[in-house]
Amino acid sequence: MSEALFMPLSLPLLLGLAVVGAVLVAPLRAGALPRAFTLGLMALMLLLAGTVFLAFDGADAPGRHALDLAWMPALGIRLHFAVDGLNVYLLLLTTLLFPVVLACSWQRAEAQSPLYLSLLLALQAGLLGTFLAQDLVLFFVCWEAVLIPMVLLLLVYGGAERRRAALGFFLYTMAGSVLFLAAVIVLGVVQHRQTGNWSFDIATLAALRLGGRTQLFVFGAIVLACAVKSPLFPFHSWLPLAYGEASPAGTALMAGVMSKMGAYGLLKLALPLAPDAAQRLAPLMVALAAVSIVYGAVLALRQTNYKQLVAYASLSHMGYIVLGVFSFQATALHGVMFQILSHGVAVAGIFLLLGLLEERRGPVWLQLDALATRAPRLAVVLMLFVLASLALPLSSGFTAEFLILLGAFTQGLAAWAAGAGAGLLVAALAASLGVVLGATYMLRLARVLVFGDAGPPAARVPLADLGARELAALALPLALILWVGIWPASLMPKTEAALAPLVAIGARAVPGRTPAAPLTAAAVPAAGVPR
Amino acid sequence: MSADFLYGLLPDHLLLALMLLLMVLEMARVDARWARPVFVGAVGAALAVLLQQIAAGYSAEIVAGEIRIDRFALLAKAVLLGCGLAIALGFAARGGWKFWLLLASMLLGAMLVMGSAGFASFFIGIELLSLPAFALMVQGQGGTVATEGAFKYLLMSSVGTALLLFGISLAYGSTGSLAIAALAPALGGGGAQPQAAVLLVLCGLFLKAAVFPFHAWAPDAYASTRLEVTAVLASVVKAGVVLALVRIVLDVQLGVATTALVAPLAIASIVFGNLAALGQRRFKRLLAYSSVAHAGYMIFALADSTGSRSSDLLWYTAFYAGATVLASACYALLCPGDGDELDALDGQFHHHPLAALGLAFALLSLAGLPPFPGFFAKLFIFTSVIGSGHLVAAVLAFVGSFLGLAVYLGLVLRLFRAESPSAAGGRSAPAAQAGA
Repeated sequence: MSEALFMPLSLPLLLGLAVVGAVLVAPLRAGALPRAFTLGLMALMLLLAGTVFLAFDGADAPGRHALDLAWMPALGIRLHFAVDGLNVYLLLLTTLLFPVVLACSWQRAEAQSPLYLSLLLALQAGLLGTFLAQDLVLFFVCWEAVLIPMVLLLLVYGGAERRRAALGFFLYTMAGSVLFLAAVIVLGVVQHRQTGNWSFDIATLAALRLGGRTQLFVFGAIVLACAVKSPLFPFHSWLPLAYGEASPAGTALMAGVMSKMGAYGLLKLALPLAPDAAQRLAPLMVALAAVSIVYGAVLALRQTNYKQLVAYASLSHMGYIVLGVFSFQATALHGVMFQILSHGVAVAGIFLLLGLLEERRGPVWLQLDALATRAPRLAVVLMLFVLASLALPLSSGFTAEFLILLGAFTQGLAAWAAGAGAGLLVAALAASLGVVLGATYMLRLARVLVFGDAGPPAARVPLADLGARELAALALPLALILWVGIWPASLMPKTEAALAPLVAIGARAVPGRTPAAPLTAAAVPAAGVPR
Repeated sequence: MSADFLYGLLPDHLLLALMLLLMVLEMARVDARWARPVFVGAVGAALAVLLQQIAAGYSAEIVAGEIRIDRFALLAKAVLLGCGLAIALGFAARGGWKFWLLLASMLLGAMLVMGSAGFASFFIGIELLSLPAFALMVQGQGGTVATEGAFKYLLMSSVGTALLLFGISLAYGSTGSLAIAALAPALGGGGAQPQAAVLLVLCGLFLKAAVFPFHAWAPDAYASTRLEVTAVLASVVKAGVVLALVRIVLDVQLGVATTALVAPLAIASIVFGNLAALGQRRFKRLLAYSSVAHAGYMIFALADSTGSRSSDLLWYTAFYAGATVLASACYALLCPGDGDELDALDGQFHHHPLAALGLAFALLSLAGLPPFPGFFAKLFIFTSVIGSGHLVAAVLAFVGSFLGLAVYLGLVLRLFRAESPSAAGGRSAPAAQAGA
């Protein structure tokens, strides 16, 4: 009974806390109070989201966790948020990372500034809004609204080159969004023509019968916006500067959560709204994904600045997501969902730790080595994130990348056997190469930073180890990494139902191309993780 | 009839009374500090009457064939009075009694246009709107620069008037009546003369609204006068002229030929306005080019054939006027004095956070970035235009609006620029040294 009362309120409460918090914090006086207040709010939101996450079992009635209000009735635009199988991981990821990020930048001067805290909460509200939105206009509004706090975070609290980084980041992402808006309007207009009434509900729009050219336009526009945000080769040139210049918190959030908006946009919009175009252009997308994986890895190998190294590694890891999405295969899609979670927490953890090092040692932190001796706790935690990132078995990275590669190979082999070309198979092979390269650059980072000779104890410059607060904060993402790595089957039912329609897209017959043998969820054991 | 004459035109009467009162008070040598409260009181009262009329769904034919109050007229008048009120609240005008007198006369003219059903009152209203603007620009300034800009405005405005008159006479010639409503059926009936009439009237109003390529007067006129007058030009005059356009064509579907003329002009306006604004170093010139670009969005709505043009443009003019007045008022707060260099904005966020945030809000709104109001205003127009089947034109306009984004974002970035390394804020200082 209490759950029945609580559940419908959880989403409005979650979004309301972020928005109201952002407004309330702004006028406070700088100091420790707004910082503690914000952390409390974020913890409360994590608690709320965690409850929703645990209660969500994938087979829920659609209205169980939802907020649906009329907004602009003349155009049928609704204020409609809901939890579904596609966004339930992202809900957890977003609410989990924000308190961790704030706890890890606790000692920095900006954490006492109300503007900074207000921007963080506004960013969280925008991200949650994007992930939960079920109305296309609302989605677009939230999608763009994320940009403003992010740019301001970069602009006010970034490094020396922050103006250039902010301008490049902003213009690049906006260029991606210009056509997106056109696609949104086109979909609404087509809906109006076909049914006579206005609606921007995503599920309603997905049921439209779109012509081939319209689908191509819609697909292209959405993919462009997502490819910039993710980023995907060749739309990644804003990435090194923005990731390098943002404050550690900003980088962690950009790489951890914001990049997932692109992946989510593909799953939520591009595939369901333009299925034929998605299927027709899948080979191109798979090729871009493979290039991203290998190119990002090769660039990461050559970096001497650790932040840039992780930035390019991030490009490589996001490539797996795109590869998995366009394999149209149940196993690979499960891998995509796990990669969203896994990459989100792992990359955010690494960036946060690098930020802590920079904070402790100043600009010379790049010359640091032998952390294992100087700061053993920090070294262990860093090592754990690195191992998750290079996909060591029993970590979430392994579950995710293994499932993606398994799915892509299965589908690629099936396509090859059916005479539909070996493109996917080649891409999957190239992606496997990326795993090897990934292990190389990540271990190189760990070898240089964590190991080495610290010299005699007397000569060492002291380096503060992780404190209790930082350890407690970083334990949360580590727990998630282990959970996904060890027992992924417990999470898969949550997304199973939502992924089925996406798998079906790949199995549809398209003129001019022989369909690959359809592989349904039943053909692959749900717990497809080898011991 | 007489009751309608009193009640239906009560807002207009209130403005007329305000003008008389301002004149009398000036003659009585009352302190000019009282001008603003008197103005705000009268305009606020007129706005309250209007809102009451809107809520009651009032409509009446007050002077047969000449003055009619309908829903569009009421809403448009409310938008215009809102502009007037926003200017009065946003600026402490330095012009004394005459500033408010002229502003009230412009508002009265614009309101007359909105209620006009015939070309006679339409024309009188347009002139009552544009002539005081000229006086407003030169009033209180002895400088030659001001006179030059004002004369450019006067000359181009009279050319616009001439085009408008010519168009009206052609319309009279082809329909035999001065009723605006008679033009639409004649247009549908074909023939060159009604087409030419509409085209001339449109060109005359485009000139007054500073649509590319009729925009050449705007930068000089905007830049040569005081900031509050620039805000008046950008809000009251622009909204008045654009809504006058709507008054004529309302939701009538324009012919293929007219649409083929309007859409390229709109795109050219958007692209040119934003491109030119990109290179500006002065705030008022930037406002001028931004107004050219926004005039482009506004006339873009004329390409619509879904019948939602009038509501789209009511939203758009209201948003645009509001955002421009807010931006100018915040700029005046941030950079008091007569200079309008954009450099003065650098790092103002650290000195005046509230005004800087207000300016940033207005600018991002003008840029059309969601979730700011400007986004929805643009969304409505683009939805109608794409709904009418002009997808390619809309995409081109989108690309043009992306240029605008760079303009407004550049300004917002200036606000947050750190003046000195020490102002860069706490922890980023070591990183700044590392970069150096």
